[in-house]
Amino acid sequence: MALLEVDDVVAGYGAGPDILNGVTVTIEEGSSYCIVGPNGAGKSTLLRAIAGFLKPRAGEVRLDGVSMNGSRPDQMLAAGVCFVPQDASLFPGMSVKENLVMGGYLIEDRSLLQERLENVYEAFPVLAERKSQHAGTLSGGEQQMVTLGRALMIEPRMVMIDEPSLGLAPMIADQIFEKITGFKDLGITVVLVEQNAVKGLETVDWGFVLDLGSLEFDGPADGILADPRIRDLYLGKAMTPREGA
Amino acid sequence: MQWVQLVVLGLLLGGVYAMMASGLTLLFGVMRVVNLAHAAFILLAAYLTYALFENVAMDPMISLVITMPLMFGLGVALYLILFPRLENSPRYVEMTVLLTFGLALIVEGMLTFVFTGIFRSVRPEYSSTAINLGEIFMPTSQFYASTISFGLLIVLWAILRFTKTGTAIRATMQNRSAAQIVGVNVRRVSAISFGIGMALAGAAGSLLSFMFPFFPARHWQWVALLLALIVLGGMGSIKGAVIGALLLAIASAFVTDLVGPTWSPITFYLTLFLILMLKPEGLFGAKVRL
Repeated sequence: MALLEVDDVVAGYGAGPDILNGVTVTIEEGSSYCIVGPNGAGKSTLLRAIAGFLKPRAGEVRLDGVSMNGSRPDQMLAAGVCFVPQDASLFPGMSVKENLVMGGYLIEDRSLLQERLENVYEAFPVLAERKSQHAGTLSGGEQQMVTLGRALMIEPRMVMIDEPSLGLAPMIADQIFEKITGFKDLGITVVLVEQNAVKGLETVDWGFVLDLGSLEFDGPADGILADPRIRDLYLGKAMTPREGA
Repeated sequence: MQWVQLVVLGLLLGGVYAMMASGLTLLFGVMRVVNLAHAAFILLAAYLTYALFENVAMDPMISLVITMPLMFGLGVALYLILFPRLENSPRYVEMTVLLTFGLALIVEGMLTFVFTGIFRSVRPEYSSTAINLGEIFMPTSQFYASTISFGLLIVLWAILRFTKTGTAIRATMQNRSAAQIVGVNVRRVSAISFGIGMALAGAAGSLLSFMFPFFPARHWQWVALLLALIVLGGMGSIKGAVIGALLLAIASAFVTDLVGPTWSPITFYLTLFLILMLKPEGLFGAKVRL
């Protein structure tokens, strides 16, 4: 059975228009995915709808075949679906360590929390070095490392990461993508939204092409990268490799 | 030693101000709501204390045991009934200002209906005595009220620092969406914070009842003063609210002594204007948000 099914979901913000016009995607456990598409296609909205930040107006999000409609973000997280939004979502007044511990907010067992913290320091040595520094004083790349490390604290079944390379220098972005590949190696299902479609698709197994709030195409990531039609129709300039990339 | 006396008088009033302002700034920090009805609820508790004193001769300091839980429950209920439907409003801030303004009018109207508009005050024995420590003079009522206020502020600090709910409240104050990301149920946290803010308002009402005479429309004056305190400290910073309250209360004691008591309220509003012009984020407010 699929880990997560998004079935004909319609969603939008407040009293605004529909951003998602009936999206259907299937996420298999242990695979990795990248959602690409032009600005305003509804990529971030799809992640927010899955994470429980946005209630679907129609359709259904199912986890292990069970409808999750109406679940709050904390309930989705408890069910194993972790969301990393694109705006640096740290606690600026807390240290790196406190931020990571907050990532384990749902963990009641203190020794387990400590064990997870050690695991994160091992996977992200830079965070161990900076553990007592205030998160608000870190560079953009380091902040992104903290958000990824924090997501690892809960050892989710699935992590959804929105625009991990936004605003980062290519070299730093490469380090971030390396960490994301690390999630996959731990058996965590990864769903990326990435403006740099080439980089994003190179990192994952499977691609979704979203446009105007519905799924236009999906297939193996290398297939999408090789298909000139999709490049011209949906990805435009985003497909042109950046200098040095 | 005149200045020591003035600092002591300032600290005595400042302790109570600090507790009132903490409740207001806590709500702003967690929910981004400026609760214009905060002082109206303080008055509601003051009248409740008055009724208990007049009818069953309950000591106003004992009545905290009733006003605090009652106001906590009222706060949680009001939050759950009124606020969730505003959450997704694109005009959230404007709507909450209208909502709390309306609440203030409703409370004021009810109090006027039940207790009429005349001045009331609660007069236990200690309301007209004083404690003399050498040269230093302290009105007994203010000494009791500020001691209780500082005690409650320490309890608030301990709750925020050492409990899981407190951690969730602090996280929500720093970054609401990040708190949601890590699994904090922000609606529950908001309801509890509203309750805590209201419980502090309840305590303040019981204490104010024997410090100052009051009438139903008095709360506008109080809420303006409280806003000055939390703007000085930095909106949403409890540490700032406490320090701002103590500073301004001491300043106003000096103004009363040097210029005259009629000029004491202007200390607050003048400071408010100066802060807004020179350092709008206040002493401990966040200038930039992540």
